[in-house]
Amino acid sequence: MKAGTAFGALSNFVKERFPVDKMNFHYMVEKKEVPVHSMSWGYYTGGLTLFFFIIQVITGLLLLFYYQPTVSDAYASVEFISKYVSGGALIRNLHTWSSSCMIFFAMVHLITAFAMKSFEKPRELTWIMGVLLLLITFTFGFTGYLLPWNQIAVNASKVGLQSIEAAGQYLPGALSKLPHTVIEIFQGEATVGQSTLGRFYAMHVVLLPLALIALLGAHLLQVQIHGMSQGVDVPAKKTEKFFPVFFFKDITLWTSVFLILFIVASIIPFDAFLPFPLLEPYNALGSTPAGIKPEWYFYFVYYPLEMLPFWVILLGSLIVMGVLIFTPWIFKGTSRKTLKLIAGAATAYLVIMTLFGDKILHIVKPGA
Amino acid sequence: MIESFLFGALPYVALFVCIFGSIYRIRTQPISYSSLSSQFLESQGLMWGSLPWHIGILLILLGHFIALLLPGLWHSLMLHSLVLASVEASGLGLSILCVIGLIVLAVRRISSAKIQSVTTPMDLVVLFLLLGQVTLGMVTATMHKWGALWCSATTTPYVWSILTFRPDISFVQDLPIAMRMHIIGAWLLILLIPFSRLIHMFAVPIQYLFRPPQIVEWTSERKEEAAGEIFESEETRRHFMHATIGIGSGLALLSIGIMDKLLRFFLGPRLSQKEESELMEFKLKQLERTAHQKSLELERQENPYILIGTLEELNPTTGKYFIDYKMTPAMAFKGDDGLPNLLSAKCTHLGCTVANQVNSDGKVVCPCHLSYFNIKTGQPDQDAPAKAPLPHLGWVLMDTKGNVLASRTAQGEFTGSIDPTKLQGARVYIAKKLSEGTT
Repeated sequence: MKAGTAFGALSNFVKERFPVDKMNFHYMVEKKEVPVHSMSWGYYTGGLTLFFFIIQVITGLLLLFYYQPTVSDAYASVEFISKYVSGGALIRNLHTWSSSCMIFFAMVHLITAFAMKSFEKPRELTWIMGVLLLLITFTFGFTGYLLPWNQIAVNASKVGLQSIEAAGQYLPGALSKLPHTVIEIFQGEATVGQSTLGRFYAMHVVLLPLALIALLGAHLLQVQIHGMSQGVDVPAKKTEKFFPVFFFKDITLWTSVFLILFIVASIIPFDAFLPFPLLEPYNALGSTPAGIKPEWYFYFVYYPLEMLPFWVILLGSLIVMGVLIFTPWIFKGTSRKTLKLIAGAATAYLVIMTLFGDKILHIVKPGA
Repeated sequence: MIESFLFGALPYVALFVCIFGSIYRIRTQPISYSSLSSQFLESQGLMWGSLPWHIGILLILLGHFIALLLPGLWHSLMLHSLVLASVEASGLGLSILCVIGLIVLAVRRISSAKIQSVTTPMDLVVLFLLLGQVTLGMVTATMHKWGALWCSATTTPYVWSILTFRPDISFVQDLPIAMRMHIIGAWLLILLIPFSRLIHMFAVPIQYLFRPPQIVEWTSERKEEAAGEIFESEETRRHFMHATIGIGSGLALLSIGIMDKLLRFFLGPRLSQKEESELMEFKLKQLERTAHQKSLELERQENPYILIGTLEELNPTTGKYFIDYKMTPAMAFKGDDGLPNLLSAKCTHLGCTVANQVNSDGKVVCPCHLSYFNIKTGQPDQDAPAKAPLPHLGWVLMDTKGNVLASRTAQGEFTGSIDPTKLQGARVYIAKKLSEGTT
């Protein structure tokens, strides 16, 4: 009997989140409305992330025609794309700029959704899928960073992977070898080499896109079924039709954003901000050049990692991950005002660490 | 003397007069705090003059202000030749737009009798001063190229020196004459703001951009009806035609451009012979590097001893890099005892390769997180990110005929004897059996 009720509860839970009777054109397109209020701009952030993902797919497919994932040819093939292929530099530049934009807007989307309390019933699964999508996006960034096989790419990947190892000391007994095993699985050999490149490549162009598209499909299906969340405490008096009004606003925004992205990508090479020794082809036998750093979107965990003992970061990230996954239940009764405060604090932390992490590190550790 | 007046004193006169004069005029004659419109008298010429002029000058001034307010960012952007070329080209294009606008406005002021009746001498002074100013800007941009870059060391610090009350005219003294006149023109224009129509720049109705839309109602019913009818019958059709032609030809151009690029993208580049051979050379070098690494790997698989170098080659302050049996980097020094000192170069923190130059404290540094290691003991500094010491490696010393003279294990057990006479030409090896068991 008890098993029966548990099953009943589960099936009810799924039915409420995936109401089959609402899965039709009328509900998902014709009837959907978008509330108009002071936080309405938050509704555009998810769409923008999707837009940058579309650009990533298109430019990524184009890059696939020329990229060669071997340690001897990877660097040369990337050079070949930027130097000789018609429009190659632009496409590669669009891919790198847009990757940063995608991660940026995915983070903004998460924070605004949190502040607007968009994870309320029946949208819990939408939220969790969103968190997983963000993780996949970060993994995209990490795996893609290695592919040009230059000094900073390989060395930053080495450091990034190696830092997992430090978790071993906090695990008991045989488990303490687990992080090392995890690293070897990703690396495929004792150090970052051909196997690593092959594995990262496979993840970056096959596994992660498949996972992301599957999750994204479910995420978007949920958004269309349940409609936009209310977003503010007092339900907005005015709404606008999702189709065509909001949809065309979305398209307008995407067009303008594309224009900006296109101009930026045509004139500013993304890696122009790095000194050249870091962009030289990777040399396994030479010494590591100074200034190895991850991409800017990892600064918020990289700089604390440099400043604080490892266990603080480990514990902190586990707590943050747990809180993010269980947000719909933890913050069930929290008012939007409090949520906004928390979101503001998180934003402040992210902005300060990303922009001034370098300076803070110099103050905390003058030698570094 | 005249220079220090024009570049040192005039700016302050101009800024002072501009600020206080404008405040005075806005407070005492609020009604005149705009520019007298002549649209009512003549609108066609105004549109073709005023619009290009304002679009051009606003963007150009925006560029000037960014260069002034964010000099660091501006300079770092301009260091990229593509950005620099784009900025200079857009600047030139916009200034052409300005000149066209100003010429139309000038012709209009001079030729139309209606307009002349509302034209003051000051209007003409401002108009021709502006024309001169834009022309000087264009002359500078064409004759003395890349001003967007060299402004960082000349005009930007000059204006900052003025604004921070430490005027330093040496920044601009040696500039070309056109540029110096451009600067003087700028101060004159600022000086004239409170006395001319230029004051309207403080009355820009920015809020218009954000206010809710307004419906214009005609005062007479007949006009309103007529307007509606015209809009329905003519305007809509004309708008529709214009829009269709515009969007259609835009899309056609766009798709031609995209198709052209895409086709070439898939077709692949056509390299010149020189480019082709350069590329080949580079690829070959990379392949050789990979092959070299593979051969090192194979060598370590097969051989019980790996040669590092001769004992004479080793140096107490510069390590010789080599690859140990685990395919990780290591380095060899000459110790105080004249014998080899072999040390892993893989940082025990996160695995970067430690630098091979020994500092005056007898330490080497890992460039990633600045852990210092003592090369004698391998120990890191107390507060270094790395906690574990760099492990030592065992070595074997052989003479030229391949007879083992001496060896030392990683733990420091020494076997054999050192005969200084036999050390001549002795070679240092790492041994497979010594490397097994070390961690």
